Amino acid sequence: MTDIHATAGAPPVDAADDASRRMPMPSARTLLVTAVILGWLGLWWAAVVHLDVSKDFLPTPYEVAHRILVLAYEPLGAGTLWTHAAASLVRLLSGFAAAVAVGMPLGLLMALIRPVNHMVTPLFELFRYIPPIAWAPFAIFWFGAGNNAQAYVIFTAAFPPILINTFRGVELVDKRLIDAARTLGARAHTIIAEVALPGALPYVMTGLRIGLAGGWMALIAAEIVAGTGSRDGLGYLILQGQQSLAADLTIGAMVLIGIIGTLIDIVLQRVEARTQSWRH
Amino acid sequence: MMRAAADCGHAAVDLQPPGDCGARAVAGFRVALGSRSIVMTNDLEYENVVMEFRGRGATVRALDTFNFHVAESEFVVVVGPSGCGKSTLLHMTAGLMHPTAGRVMLGGSIITDPGPDKAIVFQNFSLFPWKSVRSNIDFGLRINGMPPAERNELIDRYIKLIGLDGFENHYPRQLSGGMQQRVAIARSFVMRPRVLLMDEPFAALDAQNRQLMQEELVRIWSAQRPTVMFITHSVEEAVFLADRIVVISRRPGRVKKVLDVTAVAGASHWRMDPFEDVIRRPDFQELRAEIWGLVKSEIQLRS
Amino acid sequence: MGRQQLQRTFYGLVSIGGIIALWVYLTGSGRVTPIILPPPADVLEGAIDIYRGYLSVPWYEHFRASLVVMLTGYFSAIAVGVPIGVAIAWWRPLEVVLSPLLAVLRPIPPPAWIPLAILWFGIGLAGKAFIVFVAAVVPCIMNSYLAIKETPQELLVSARTLGASQRTLLFEVALPSGLPAIMTGLRIALGTSWATIVAAELVVSLAGFGFLIMNGYRNLESQIVMVGMIAVAVIGFLMNWAFLLIERRLVPWRETDD
Repeated sequence: MTDIHATAGAPPVDAADDASRRMPMPSARTLLVTAVILGWLGLWWAAVVHLDVSKDFLPTPYEVAHRILVLAYEPLGAGTLWTHAAASLVRLLSGFAAAVAVGMPLGLLMALIRPVNHMVTPLFELFRYIPPIAWAPFAIFWFGAGNNAQAYVIFTAAFPPILINTFRGVELVDKRLIDAARTLGARAHTIIAEVALPGALPYVMTGLRIGLAGGWMALIAAEIVAGTGSRDGLGYLILQGQQSLAADLTIGAMVLIGIIGTLIDIVLQRVEARTQSWRH
Repeated sequence: MMRAAADCGHAAVDLQPPGDCGARAVAGFRVALGSRSIVMTNDLEYENVVMEFRGRGATVRALDTFNFHVAESEFVVVVGPSGCGKSTLLHMTAGLMHPTAGRVMLGGSIITDPGPDKAIVFQNFSLFPWKSVRSNIDFGLRINGMPPAERNELIDRYIKLIGLDGFENHYPRQLSGGMQQRVAIARSFVMRPRVLLMDEPFAALDAQNRQLMQEELVRIWSAQRPTVMFITHSVEEAVFLADRIVVISRRPGRVKKVLDVTAVAGASHWRMDPFEDVIRRPDFQELRAEIWGLVKSEIQLRS
Repeated sequence: MGRQQLQRTFYGLVSIGGIIALWVYLTGSGRVTPIILPPPADVLEGAIDIYRGYLSVPWYEHFRASLVVMLTGYFSAIAVGVPIGVAIAWWRPLEVVLSPLLAVLRPIPPPAWIPLAILWFGIGLAGKAFIVFVAAVVPCIMNSYLAIKETPQELLVSARTLGASQRTLLFEVALPSGLPAIMTGLRIALGTSWATIVAAELVVSLAGFGFLIMNGYRNLESQIVMVGMIAVAVIGFLMNWAFLLIERRLVPWRETDD
């Protein structure tokens, strides 16, 4: 309600730019967010203590934090916390890289050559409705349980948005710009390199961001199902927590997953915003 | 105040055709306040109005000691270069923003909140896309608690007035730009506003439609005669419609010059005549040239 | 049928036909083992197997089990997510309080919730539906939030100058204006719910398509896995299609389509 007032009262188009007015100063904002997060942690703690909840059902934030801290230097399975996080990131990046390597060129070809579009689209529609986790069995049949199978599951999650956004981005480049380049004497490769791709870049970046986020979501599924035999990864920590009935380990791993996922998203949003700065 | 506006609407429905509520424009606006009754006028007073916006570090002054008085039932058109604070002025008058310093008063009392006595018509029509023509016009009446029977009668009358009978149940997207703007104008007029604020209302229309809409606005307005503040980029439009034209300087906006069109256009005012005849008049062209010269000097100063 | 359309159909048939031909050739020539890629005949057999009661579960039980889990999770997600999304978009203080929490919870993938789901809700319907819930609630919240946030300012301003109260602004301007975007969120959530069914059925289950896929995997019956995958894909496609039909009915003022 207050917010509506604030924005409705903002200067109309012909007045001062107000983008910075809407947001409080960064330091004030950070303080506020920190306070709110501490508030939630306090609420969690108070609820556990006050309601006398069993530690196995819901541990306190302290117990979770303690578990994570211990894990930072005391190995579990293949190694410490860092080993597990690194293993997950490597899987994520290898699946993502494969999705980029296949999805971007294919999307470009689909936009530039109509028959390619007509041939790929039906297949794409056919496979699109298969959730990544459902690929896990075949991933293992094909690649054997292990990193490659997990990377494949991540690939199936990251591939569709990268393909679609590259295709859409190139297709939506203003045809008049292409005509303009042509009348200036540009050849096909110049048009692709200097008009189509830069024009499509904002879409492509969005596709990469969504793809990586999708891959992150599929990672844990991949590690839980297709990670049989693996002794590393954040998914492994979650499974360990479940098998040893250690809720603090499970929740600790979840929090780590949440934090790393958020960091990845923030970085990518920055990059994405940079590529879109000329758009307004 | 909100109730008062609606009340006048009631009276008009019961007794008179819509035009006659305009009688109050001359007689003043009667509001029962307990046993007393006070007379309100619909004049606008801008007193040393300053408006500042805080940008990144710097403070931008959009309006600077703006002083102006709009008489009751007067049609004032504001022109000036882009970014001179015209829209800011209108938003303050609507009660959507408050000046950093100075006062904006309607009928002698400071404007604090938006309300149906101060209607706005925007360039992009701002119709509710999910409501039919009829429900769009009905919106303000309904939320202000007018009984359905009265509302229906009033809406019928206004739909006829804007020439959209047969389109009552169309959605906005099914109408042309000109028709949509007619609906937006009807939605404002049906509330019997004391002031009508128009923010480049015809800028999105093509030249032909724009001309038609100007004539139509004059027709609807003369029946009710609310006070009008009208913003435009078109000097021609300003000269055709206005009683007086205010030229605002580039940012920070100040009153650069006020031109009395009525003095040239005569008592009956040329806006009652067809547009194509009026623009051929030498005195019209002279005035247009003068104003364009004033605006141009501001734009050139800018660059 | 225009030339364009004809071309499209031709190339479509070529590619799908090509894939099927490749499938028949690879499996028929003995170049790949049935586990790597089951031959079409095996897949048909698998489907018949399931129809006759694979692992003595009647075929309709799979539909019932998966749909019940999915719908329970989906509708709870709508009931919780849409009001939250709308509320945080409308009341700034609520946004300040809830958004850090949502920001941390959002990137946690649904399968990561499995241990807690079992711990908190057990291995029955509630535990499985919870997995679907955490997946579907995200698009419900996000899209409702954006839908309300992106209400055109002119509409809000127009309504305010016509005398609308805060309540009227929310219920008669922001919500109808955001309805198309909210509906899109519900459609995305439907897809997400269904896609999560496989993860949800990783929690001990005795029927359902996720159960089929996982059992096929454990027993190395790749034809059962493939039937499960095809069933999930086809049902997901049909749900999306049905929802689009309903959406068009509910939002008649919308420009033709997206």
